[in-house]
Amino acid sequence: MKAKPFLVAAPAALALVLAGCGGSTGDSSSDGSSAAPKDCSSADVFCVGLVTDTGSVDDKNFNQAAWEGVKALEGDGVQTKYIETKDAKDYANNLKQFTDQKYDAIVTVGFLMAEATVTAAKANPNVKFIGVDQFQDPAATAPNVTGLIFPEANAGYAAGYLAGLMTKTNKLGIVLGQEIPPTQNYAKGYEQGSKAANPKSTVAKVYHPAGDNAFSDSPWGAGEAKKMLAQGADFIFGAGGGTGNGALGEAAKTSGAGSSIFCIGVDVDQWETVPEAHPCLITSAEKKLTQGTTDLLNQAKDGSIKGGNFEGKTGLAPYHDFDSKIPADVKTKVADIVKQLEDGSLKVA
Amino acid sequence: MRNKVWLGTAVLVLVAAYAFYFANPNIAVSMFSNAWFLAVPLVLGAMVGVIGERSGVVNIGIEGQMLVGAFAGFFAAAATQSVVVGVVAGALSGIAMGAFLAFTTVKGQLDQIIAGVVINIVATGITSFYYESGKTIPRGLPNFDVPLLSKIPLIGPVFFSDGPIALFALVIALVLHFLLFKTRWGLRTRAVGEYPSAADTAGINVVALRLFNVTMAGTLAGLAGTYLSMEATSTFERGMSSGRGFLALAILIFGAWRPLRALAAALFFGFMSASASQLQASDVVNIPQQFINLLPYVLTLVVLAAAAGRVRAPGAVGQPFVKGD
Repeated sequence: MKAKPFLVAAPAALALVLAGCGGSTGDSSSDGSSAAPKDCSSADVFCVGLVTDTGSVDDKNFNQAAWEGVKALEGDGVQTKYIETKDAKDYANNLKQFTDQKYDAIVTVGFLMAEATVTAAKANPNVKFIGVDQFQDPAATAPNVTGLIFPEANAGYAAGYLAGLMTKTNKLGIVLGQEIPPTQNYAKGYEQGSKAANPKSTVAKVYHPAGDNAFSDSPWGAGEAKKMLAQGADFIFGAGGGTGNGALGEAAKTSGAGSSIFCIGVDVDQWETVPEAHPCLITSAEKKLTQGTTDLLNQAKDGSIKGGNFEGKTGLAPYHDFDSKIPADVKTKVADIVKQLEDGSLKVA
Repeated sequence: MRNKVWLGTAVLVLVAAYAFYFANPNIAVSMFSNAWFLAVPLVLGAMVGVIGERSGVVNIGIEGQMLVGAFAGFFAAAATQSVVVGVVAGALSGIAMGAFLAFTTVKGQLDQIIAGVVINIVATGITSFYYESGKTIPRGLPNFDVPLLSKIPLIGPVFFSDGPIALFALVIALVLHFLLFKTRWGLRTRAVGEYPSAADTAGINVVALRLFNVTMAGTLAGLAGTYLSMEATSTFERGMSSGRGFLALAILIFGAWRPLRALAAALFFGFMSASASQLQASDVVNIPQQFINLLPYVLTLVVLAAAAGRVRAPGAVGQPFVKGD
């Protein structure tokens, strides 16, 4: 009997077709969807394009927060449009779609797009690029790229401070993704904040061991949270994408969640992104992405934008259902710390 | 003699575990629970490999089968808001993936490695493309205490206070060991994997048995995926199988193509991983976490290297059976 290669070839081809779909686009021009696209090469129109990291603009996460920041700009003479990236290989192509149409400013979302952004910026020196969550190394960057970065240590500090004030067992846990500067900063802030609030508290900290899936390994995160909780931790800070979310989900399933066991989300208000964590999710250490994106785009529009790095704001997300469960004096103290971190009078070493 | 060595090792490990338990019950239970929590998908994955390779079919698509199981289970449960439907969907998707491998390699006589690679690629493509964020399932599979057994110190809280799939993984390893070595099906399966033309001469339908085994083994891979997305967590992430299917293959070799040894090997790996994170979290030793996290992989490599000369793969693994060839 002869081999039947087509049995394999058909699904393989299907997979390639699926993977190759590039991206879907959407726009929301200021004067209604029926209007013809404006001519972006004209000086009267300010065109803003956003390229998402792999994911959709309604992901209730980075992509959505950045897109909301773009939409805040809508008004006379502004056109906004997004392209959703389906595969990391398409970053450059998606960026090219905007540069070919002479867009004035292009927002790219996420650490992983940093390289593609700088490459595109070098090829299009007249276009302003804003890299959300992309630290710009002065040696490698281009003058028309601005990295919107966030002091993760500050957000971690505020979260740690809250946990330090609330903990009963004096044991806190933090489950992180890969050990890279943003996660290191979260951990550092969390440790210092909890110590400042409660010198007796100790922090158990774990980074994900492997590189490739360090931010999508939710079962591993759940396992680590389970171990920490069994060893007496009563606060779990999940700071590592899907890996951290796994830890939040596990804390939410543990008995005592919401009364003696709490968890803290990361990056965005995870009350919106991780509904399964509602039983324990007291707050999230938040990067104010939307506001930072809008601020930078306004600067790009009036021409005052500078290259290099622009530091956005961080803070704690709303307490949602836990608002009534946190003592008033704790809330006041935490609010005070957040303010001190924001105006720079308190610095995380 | 060999059996005595294994029995001795098992007793030794058990004594060591209980010594640890009496020294510090809290830490011991949490670490062993963590080990078993991580080992469950590895055990199920290794069982898929055991069934496949014992019948003469290499399955390197376990990773992809798992991922599809996680995806199908989670999104079926999210769409119907029923965890039961989710588990059934996860298992059925595993059967579908198993059937794909079975029909391409056994009927179509394609290269088994290529078919496995195709499964992995298709699984990544499909689950990424149809992934939708923001979906939720009503709740994950609940943990429950098995009466009496859960009261045993150490073993109870570790093995008998978990969710249904974890318990199933424990049971299936025991059952499969019995089936493989004590039943007619087991003897035929092993014959088909060792020397298919002899089995054929003896009147066994080699093609039918291989088709059946490889297809049904897919159920276990589907359940391993369902464990990831519905029992260990209540969420689906792109690529959440995170190489567990490949790890299961290493465990299969480490476990000498035997269900119970593979179970032990998976637990060993889980425990190494738990030890690594325990060392990292407690900060007792001041070495960079990257080195500590290497530990499970290095130790596995050492054990694999030590075991390599002594274990032997089934004779006909990787070769399609052509009648009268």
